[in-house]
Amino acid sequence: MDPILTFIVVLIGFYGLSTSSNIIKSVFMVTIIESGIILLFLNLGNYQGGSIPIFSEQVTSIVDPLPQALMITTIVIGSTVTAMALMLSIKVFHYYGSIEWKDVLGREELKL
Amino acid sequence: MSVSKNIILFALLSVLLIVFMLAMQDLDVLYNSYGRDYYLLYGLEETGSRNLVSAIYLDYRLFDSLFEAGILLIAVSGIIWISKHDIEEKNAKFMIDKYKTPDLFVTFSRLVYPLMLTFGFYVIINGHLSPGGGFQGGAIVATAILILYYIDSERETNIGLIVTIEKYIFMTIIVLASISLFTRGTFFTNFMPLDASLQMKSIYLVLLNLLIGFKVALGLWTIFTAFLKEGR
Amino acid sequence: MIFIPVYLVIIPIFASLVIYIFKNKHMNYLALLAQAVVTVLAIVYYQHFSGNFEATMFVFGGWDDRIGISMSNDALSLSFVFLTVFTWWMVLLYTFDKGNTNHNFIFFLLFLEGVFFGILMTNDLFNMFVFLELAAILVTILIAFNKAGNSFRAGIYYLLVNTAGVLTFLIGIILIYFTFGTININVITNLMPLYGDELIIKFAYVLLMSGIAVKSALFPVFTWLPHAHGVAQSAISALLSGLIVKGGLYLFIRINQMYAAANYDYYAFFFVLGALTAIVGVMFALSQKDMKQILAYHTVSQIGIMMMGLSSQDVNVYYGGVLHIFNHALFKSLLFLGAGVIIKVYRTKKVNEIRGVFKTMPWVSIFMIVGMLSITGAPLFNGFISKSIIKYGIQDSGIKYWTLFIINIGTATSFIKMSQIFFGPQSLSYPMQRKLQNFALMSIAFGCIILGNFYIPINQGFFGIDLSYIHIFEFAKFFDYFLTLAIGYLFYYFIISKDKPPIPNIRNFSISFEASNIIFIALIVVMTIYFVLL
Repeated sequence: MDPILTFIVVLIGFYGLSTSSNIIKSVFMVTIIESGIILLFLNLGNYQGGSIPIFSEQVTSIVDPLPQALMITTIVIGSTVTAMALMLSIKVFHYYGSIEWKDVLGREELKL
Repeated sequence: MSVSKNIILFALLSVLLIVFMLAMQDLDVLYNSYGRDYYLLYGLEETGSRNLVSAIYLDYRLFDSLFEAGILLIAVSGIIWISKHDIEEKNAKFMIDKYKTPDLFVTFSRLVYPLMLTFGFYVIINGHLSPGGGFQGGAIVATAILILYYIDSERETNIGLIVTIEKYIFMTIIVLASISLFTRGTFFTNFMPLDASLQMKSIYLVLLNLLIGFKVALGLWTIFTAFLKEGR
Repeated sequence: MIFIPVYLVIIPIFASLVIYIFKNKHMNYLALLAQAVVTVLAIVYYQHFSGNFEATMFVFGGWDDRIGISMSNDALSLSFVFLTVFTWWMVLLYTFDKGNTNHNFIFFLLFLEGVFFGILMTNDLFNMFVFLELAAILVTILIAFNKAGNSFRAGIYYLLVNTAGVLTFLIGIILIYFTFGTININVITNLMPLYGDELIIKFAYVLLMSGIAVKSALFPVFTWLPHAHGVAQSAISALLSGLIVKGGLYLFIRINQMYAAANYDYYAFFFVLGALTAIVGVMFALSQKDMKQILAYHTVSQIGIMMMGLSSQDVNVYYGGVLHIFNHALFKSLLFLGAGVIIKVYRTKKVNEIRGVFKTMPWVSIFMIVGMLSITGAPLFNGFISKSIIKYGIQDSGIKYWTLFIINIGTATSFIKMSQIFFGPQSLSYPMQRKLQNFALMSIAFGCIILGNFYIPINQGFFGIDLSYIHIFEFAKFFDYFLTLAIGYLFYYFIISKDKPPIPNIRNFSISFEASNIIFIALIVVMTIYFVLL
């Protein structure tokens, strides 16, 4: 895959984030941006080719292991953000009876 | 969603895409492989891990991994706090309806469960030799545990206990990672001396992978349970 | 000694875990102990390394500095560390006085302290990203801690907007990594002359800066801030407005230091952005009726003033901006904490429903008035010093000077409006005296007055800059201030208090979530065109 294709995935995420009127969809769009970035980083790590980053005597060229290590971190972060956001949107639904941004943000404060 | 808004949005995004394509052309000339060559040359010798990805997240950049585990811990406590209801419920039933779960699925779950658990531990323990590691293996173990909920939907889980154990494990990880302060005089690296044999160094790697694996498994388990309760 | 930054990060986190595990009321006092230890360590560290900040750099595990994660400090980060310690003391004292302190709350609060220290001291871009994301999740939990409908709403808004911002930051980090082969800030700073003119590095700068713009609530992307700061508990609002949002400005300074050798002309762009932020923030603040919303929008406008200072080539104005970060941290947390006490007693947030605060609680009122005098820039208080530095530096340029003047009038008007709560007869009896709360408020108020009067030796000692050209006791300064107040009062009396047409429209103006994302993308594109293509 090409890095440019993966960047298009990121842009699709941004497009969705600015058109979806639904909280759950927004959460998934953030996840798509995140996935696009992960693919982008891994792709660039593989920019000049190479074998898997496991050391053995025959190997002379590997893909960059740092992006892979960093992307594990990003995946964990992404999953926690998604979990957190989904739990909050469940709660928002319980309070406002809707998960449309315009219903939720337009409402006056219910109580102090 | 009006058409003009769409056109503006497409124009904006295509500017970003074009600039990114130009940037990628730069990268053909500029691409810097310092890190890659360094890890291939010194990775095994310095950290004792054949899997260079594990070498990075267990040794070179352990500080990141600590907070990666920390972010999971925070999310778990936060989700539990947010989802906690004002009235304490005992023996909360989950949304999985055992009459709607096909018997075939339940039977296969029983078969797959031990295999998944074993595979998860294999991935954790061999994380420094082959692809895998604490985070990946922990996720597999958590999935295996979640299958239990399909086998027996009446299961009770003491979330409070799991969360407490998770906190203890996190503290242990921090302590284990800081032992190197006394043996090598610096924070967050292998506590074995730099010239120790690969076997000696792998003690530390396996221990840390195991702890991280347990922590991740417990954390994901808790998050899943919290969502199950919410979905009733 | 060199590892003290690690202790600063780890000790609060460890203490918070112990508090969470034991769930014991007495165990909560461990937070104060940890806080005391952190304070002592920070002071010792500063005394050991002051004047020799190059020596503070160390790499975890002792690896090559291009490979491992490193930490380093300078005068700026250490002064932020002291600010953090001070703010956390005040917030902890304030919360402890409420009686039944929830151990969950203390847990998240202390964990956030460790994470914030991490943001300040780390010397590694990806590590910074991890800390930023961790802080975003913690802040979300703290915003939603009340578990009311509007706090969930504010929490998810904050989380999604900030995550989108931080993810653009991450794309910038990726581009930098593959060009420099490292993500160590010091190494990148040294290599910057080689690559600074390349398009990819300019694009990386744009992406990093747009992430920071969201974090620090600059003009088009500030919409999350009033949502978040307006509904959180007062202690959390004080923390967010006083400190956490300054994390974005701190990153702005750090990233521009990193790019110093590349010599981008960012000054004009961010000055305009700062001025717009300030004006729009004041405009919205004038239209609000909710006390905490007013304060939250003033945070936006004050951030604009800081940005105007920070994006200046003149060293003095630049330090004015830095100093305003500290001054604002003091008086804004004072105002939020004081407002919290008042709201708690009156059970309403509406400015026009609260009356007679001065008779009911004289001490709190005095501290609030100190905060108001500081934010409007009265001589003898700290807001005056930093505003004067910025004003002194830009007085040659007519349009910049008048912009600042208009912002000052707006601020004065808004706080004249807010001061109506003090007048009137005593309507309630103040149930009990909160000694620790009053102590916290008093300490911050004293901080404001001390920084406003003894600014020459303090700044000489810490930053090594000479501020003796700022004089307090000049007739012109007092005249200026009272003129501002007078114009502000007239403005208030004839327009704001009558609620004339544009005001309700501004108050009801709201921007949808999708639109705010389009604006964010537009900001990235505008910055791309300005920095990369032109």
